[in-house]
Amino acid sequence: MTHLHATEQDVLTEAAVVAEPTPAKHGANFIVFLVGGILVVLAVIFGLGLRHQQQTQPTEGFAPLFTLQTLSGEAISLESLRGQVVVINFWASWCGPCRSEAAELEAAWQRYKDQGVVFLGIAYTDTERNAQAYLQEFGITYPNGLDYQTKISAQYRITGVPETFIIDREGHINEFVMVPLNQGQISAMIERALTKGQNQP
Amino acid sequence: MLAELGFIATFLAFLAALYAAGMAFYGVRRRDDRLLLSARNAALATFPLMSVSLGALLIALVTQQYQIAYVWNVTDPNTPTFFRITALWGAQAGSLLFWSGIMSAFAFGTIALNWHGQRRLMPYVITYIMLTLAFFLGLSLFLENPFERYWIMPDNSVVKSVFALSGAVPPAAARLAETSHGLNPLLRHFGMIVHPPLLYMGFVGFIIPFAFAMAALASGDLSTGWIKATRRWTLLAWVSLSLGLVLGGRWAYDVLGWGGWWGWDPVENAAFLPWLLGTAFLHSVMIQEKRGMLKVWNMFLMLGTFSAVIFGTFATRSGLVDSVHSFARSGIGFPLFFFWFSVTAVSVGMLLWRWRRGELRDDRRFNGLLSRESLFVLNNIVFVMLFIAIFWGSFGAPIVSELFLGTNITLGKDYFLQVTPPLFLALFILMGVAPLSAWGVTSLLRLGKALIVPALLAAAMVALLALMQPAEPLVLLIYGVIALSGTVALWETYRGAAARHKTLGENWATAVTALVARNRRRYGGYLIHLSIAIVGIGALGSELYQQETQRTLAVGQSLALGGYTMRYDGFLGGQIADDGRVMDIAQVTVIRDGREIAHLRPRRDFYPNAEGMNTMTIPAAHSTAENDFYVLLVDWEAISASSATFKVFINPLINLIWWGSLLLVFGTLVGMYPDEKHALATAVAAQPSRLAGVKA
Amino acid sequence: MKTLVKVTLVLVLIVMAFAAVTLSVSAQDDPRRPVSDDEVNAVSKKLYCPVCENITLDTCGTLACAQWRDEVRILLSEGNTPEQVIENFVVRFGDRVVGTPVDPLLRAIALITPWVFSAAVLVGVAVVFFRWRSEGTHTAPMAAKRSTEKTPNATHSLEDYRARLESDLAARR
Repeated sequence: MTHLHATEQDVLTEAAVVAEPTPAKHGANFIVFLVGGILVVLAVIFGLGLRHQQQTQPTEGFAPLFTLQTLSGEAISLESLRGQVVVINFWASWCGPCRSEAAELEAAWQRYKDQGVVFLGIAYTDTERNAQAYLQEFGITYPNGLDYQTKISAQYRITGVPETFIIDREGHINEFVMVPLNQGQISAMIERALTKGQNQP
Repeated sequence: MLAELGFIATFLAFLAALYAAGMAFYGVRRRDDRLLLSARNAALATFPLMSVSLGALLIALVTQQYQIAYVWNVTDPNTPTFFRITALWGAQAGSLLFWSGIMSAFAFGTIALNWHGQRRLMPYVITYIMLTLAFFLGLSLFLENPFERYWIMPDNSVVKSVFALSGAVPPAAARLAETSHGLNPLLRHFGMIVHPPLLYMGFVGFIIPFAFAMAALASGDLSTGWIKATRRWTLLAWVSLSLGLVLGGRWAYDVLGWGGWWGWDPVENAAFLPWLLGTAFLHSVMIQEKRGMLKVWNMFLMLGTFSAVIFGTFATRSGLVDSVHSFARSGIGFPLFFFWFSVTAVSVGMLLWRWRRGELRDDRRFNGLLSRESLFVLNNIVFVMLFIAIFWGSFGAPIVSELFLGTNITLGKDYFLQVTPPLFLALFILMGVAPLSAWGVTSLLRLGKALIVPALLAAAMVALLALMQPAEPLVLLIYGVIALSGTVALWETYRGAAARHKTLGENWATAVTALVARNRRRYGGYLIHLSIAIVGIGALGSELYQQETQRTLAVGQSLALGGYTMRYDGFLGGQIADDGRVMDIAQVTVIRDGREIAHLRPRRDFYPNAEGMNTMTIPAAHSTAENDFYVLLVDWEAISASSATFKVFINPLINLIWWGSLLLVFGTLVGMYPDEKHALATAVAAQPSRLAGVKA
Repeated sequence: MKTLVKVTLVLVLIVMAFAAVTLSVSAQDDPRRPVSDDEVNAVSKKLYCPVCENITLDTCGTLACAQWRDEVRILLSEGNTPEQVIENFVVRFGDRVVGTPVDPLLRAIALITPWVFSAAVLVGVAVVFFRWRSEGTHTAPMAAKRSTEKTPNATHSLEDYRARLESDLAARR
């Protein structure tokens, strides 16, 4: 009908001519499976990689377990603190906003330390020297340690410092905040975690 | 008004692209020319629609419509007009729209130039380009909309929406202007006007050869038609990408202040990966055109190139890898991932299907191990190995290690300089030998003889380099290998011209121009080889013999490095520029052989309004053919600035990289320049009968 | 492997804690040797800090990196060799701080894998090539003949060169 018709048929006949003398190659299936396999592997790796990258800080569920080597030489495991409310604060001595909350955290710690509340400070990519100096500067007395090999930060998927997680008595993450806090905010968060524990014995 | 206009134009372009894709496919299946014409017209319409859309965003940027969230994010009242324009591609949403705009322009171009010559392939070409365009426009419309405006709702909350909401009022203009961000300081550089557009042209441009390859697979017209039709398109994309890469390096050198130009960062590598496969493709298609071999392989390289383009886009725009260059994380990660996977799976699947049907059989077999075609195959293997090594280092190993071994690792320059140099060296050796070998078979003896003069020329160049910069024997040998790849190109051109000069009696100028005109593609290619050799020598020299030192100087004190002396003269603190940045400038004098040769002003810029990174260390450099004297202001004594710390680099031969890339552009232009009868649409002359394919 | 890391970690910790205490005591009378910026930069060039992705420590402008550079300087001044400083950083901050992992397993995976893939490509090409050759002996002798005809004997005169060039060009059309 149209010119196009003719060209389409040309294509078909051409293809037929080329295709004719070709027996099915042995091993062709192998190649198809190989290529398919490679594609699937690539897709899985990059799909999972992207999902992993896009994960954000956990805000509920069990808090990832870790053992913190404190600067005073103890090892504190999160698991051993079951039954207590745990405030996990990620900080660094090079971080400006952390400085504004350091004294507030210490004050909150002084207020709650005898009420079944534990504070853990975790210094992100910091050095012992600078971390010690920072703790001295702000008179911080609750246990602090460096996050060696950035393992704990990776578990909690932090995106910066300061970030604070409140863990309830059962070891669940109760709250998460990524702004510098004042004493009032910290107290409110701790109270919420404490009362939650009482309501569901 | 502008926001609505831009959004509606984008939406219409989206509909037109979907319509064109569907109608072109349906039309070719039904063999209905009217449907095909309608599809073509819809595809053509995307370009003017995208022009309107981009124009609206551009006007909004220039006229400071801060109610539009994108404008508010990338400009502020202090931004100079130049950077208002470049802000069009200064962040994710705008650059995605710009990307789609370029794609619609390429679609327009290929339809205008190839419609008549490639009637069989064009419907499928339109389908593939328009599907891709529709995908990217979809991202712009539904996930990264640059036309969204801020509105204040009756309950005082702020929402983003393109269209006016009932009861909502726009925020006060003064408040918006005051709080606006301004362009990311990294992007405030002259390179911003050319580097991203070139890079995007390079990326997007590969869609044309890709769509033609897919069209060939879909239509069953598996002759070399698709290659011939797209040769210049491929070259255009390739040269844009090459230049984009080099300009990116220049930008890093000028702005990032680390004394280098290529950091092997995943994002840089993401742009280099398609270049590797594209370059391999440009070489191996010659074998198919001349000898009818490697049909499957060429198809595969083109599909791989485009897959790498989409992968690079996905990797840089999704936050898959962390990098200084990458865009902020956003919701387009998974859509881009699925698009990449579908493009790759569908194209490879179709290739395998045609191959299993036996429709991609080669016309000839290899018959000599030492022939031009086998050297080309070797070249392709090396390119693919480079691709694997760089892909693994940038995306494979870090992700695999984090996912399956639970350890974060960095593969930096360290890794790449352990793995890639042998491969680059192999490429340069092949560049030296392959142009001298013959199609079919060649003998070692002949090859050896042909190499004598180029080798002598290369030795002379090495001697010159050794005089400028003493180097170890091994390095000199490597210089020699790289130089040889350039001198072979020069010598082959000379021999061709000499032959004409002697046998045809032409004078030299005529002989050279006639020779080049006789085969622009070959001699353009030789020029490109020469330019790559120049870039290679520059890259090697600046990498191996870079010297650096860091010293704190009091005013009047000097430091010495590599034959230069630099004196700290004084300090200009707190200079405020037109665009609101605060500059702290050190004044230094560079002295060589007792003569003052330059006054330099390395500085630190501070951008008070910028979010995130707000200081930039701007180097100053004194360039000569031999090397660059490159100074960074690292630090200074507060207030008095009576002493300041400088980091000084000497980068030998680095200018060869910039000069070489200019030659590369020239060489590509020579290679692309249309033959008289064969315009961009190669097949117009060959198939005149198909011009009038349409019945009214 | 894991225990080794742990043991080193603990050792380093003890040394660090000790050093920190002694340092704070004797900060005034400084027995340490002065370290030049160039020495610090030479080590920093090989380190990456997690705050600046993919940028070496010597060029990263953040405060975190400035502190790390100070740490490098202190460690060097205490008599550590550059290798020891880097090792120290790896033990404390993990393999991500160096351009290629130090851990033997990770290092092997990073460096050998591309060559394994490349070898696979080479094997693939070789298989295809030899299959073609064996097929080629009975299916494609014609092409071979044609190309040998075309190749002139190895001579060097310009005349021959031009003839070869022209035939090359002609074959292209």
